[in-house]
Amino acid sequence: MTKLVRNLLTKKIAFYVILVIVWQIIAYTNIWSNNLFPSPLEVAEDLAYGAIDASLFYGIGTSMLRLLVGFAIAILGGISLGIFMARIDIVNQTVGSLVLGLQSIPSVAWVPLAILWFGLTDAGIIFVTVMSSIFAVTINTHTGIRNIDPNYIAAARNMGAKGEQLITNVLIPAAFPHIISGFKQGWAFAWRGVIGAELLFSFLGLGFLLNVGRQLSDVSQVIAIMLVILGIGILIDGFVFKRLENKVMSRWGLR
Amino acid sequence: MVKLEAKNIVKHFQHDDYRLKALGGINLQVEAGDFVCLVGPSGCGKSTFLRIAAGLDTPDEGEILFDRKPVTGTGPERILVFQEGALFPWLKVSDNVEFGLKMAGVPKEKRSEISKRYLDMMQLTKFANSYTYQLSTGMKQRVAIARAFVMDPDVLLMDEPFASLDAQTRDLLLVELQLIWEKTKKTIVFVTHNVAEAVVLGNKIAIFSNRPSIIKKELTIDYQRPRLMEDESLRKFQQQVLNELRPEVKKSR
Repeated sequence: MTKLVRNLLTKKIAFYVILVIVWQIIAYTNIWSNNLFPSPLEVAEDLAYGAIDASLFYGIGTSMLRLLVGFAIAILGGISLGIFMARIDIVNQTVGSLVLGLQSIPSVAWVPLAILWFGLTDAGIIFVTVMSSIFAVTINTHTGIRNIDPNYIAAARNMGAKGEQLITNVLIPAAFPHIISGFKQGWAFAWRGVIGAELLFSFLGLGFLLNVGRQLSDVSQVIAIMLVILGIGILIDGFVFKRLENKVMSRWGLR
Repeated sequence: MVKLEAKNIVKHFQHDDYRLKALGGINLQVEAGDFVCLVGPSGCGKSTFLRIAAGLDTPDEGEILFDRKPVTGTGPERILVFQEGALFPWLKVSDNVEFGLKMAGVPKEKRSEISKRYLDMMQLTKFANSYTYQLSTGMKQRVAIARAFVMDPDVLLMDEPFASLDAQTRDLLLVELQLIWEKTKKTIVFVTHNVAEAVVLGNKIAIFSNRPSIIKKELTIDYQRPRLMEDESLRKFQQQVLNELRPEVKKSR
């Protein structure tokens, strides 16, 4: 670990420690009733209960499974659609504008349609996840392919690459720095989509646990679950996408 | 035997609202084993002609014949080496060199065997596992040449491959390229704007006129090899080429 990285880590840890201390102090002063503003200790206790009776892990597992299935579909569909848009003008001129429009629909706006089409099922939640993240992947793939140095494609064609070979050996790897941005955005949208859908479907998962907390007026459970959602978001971004991005960037010599 | 023949190649460039006639009917015959250098004023369409010969661009009129058969697209027998190399930054040096073989479905062991040989020839063995950004411009150009040779093409089309190199690196590569050409007996068509470079490399030099360009003059350079840039005896050939070229460069201004 370099000195710089260690320094940064120290700052981050110090910030979170201070945040928790301030939170504890405010809770201690009892400005707001303890029911509305629990202390960090109570939230931690709630997390511990959730861990002991495994309901927390079950919630995380359920949400993550839905997320992974939905996100995988979004990646495959988004990359394919992005390639079609980048390579076939008529697709870009027609479907392209629709994609931009669909991208601006908030993920929870897909929930009523999902419920009507799929009922209160996993499939419905996965549908919402796919719809919230697929267009970010599509748009970034499209941008990435449009920005490929035309000489890469000419050289590859000259060396005999065509059709599917050209797509897998040149177009996707050449556009990958952009596609990763699509993954990062898509992942963030997918995560929001899953939690949003679970809140409204009220059918297992972390979003469901949030809803249960609300129904029981258990503020510390609500905050505990929110912290878990936040933590998973940071972890996946840091451990999966940042690493992937760093690897690709250093390979290209961009970092 | 004529390997590559251009018959009355005409090509226009489209500039927003008007068409510029770049190639005004190029006729050229390249014999098997020839090293032909194309020189001409900048913007005369030499690079475009090379792309047409590679099949990456189509002429508005005329045709390219390869072994007497019309060219309709790209083919592994005609490989273009790009000015900036166009190496793939997502692949290691060895994978870049093996790219064409992989596309052709050559198995992995066979591929690495062939690429090793050419990497060795280009003195790049130590860099087989490097990524392209780790290489100097000279090394990148050597990788690009190795990548083309691996395809074992009949004709190598080289588009100012040494234009962005420093003088020392270029002089080394000029010698290396002559040695490889003599060893492999490839047919090479080499575009350059540098007359000294053309005279060192080519056994034939085709001089393009200003737009709409035709081939104004073909010269044969009969001289020992490998030729060196600093060889005083090459001056008279340079002078011959310059005498043809100067009026065209003036017109192009």
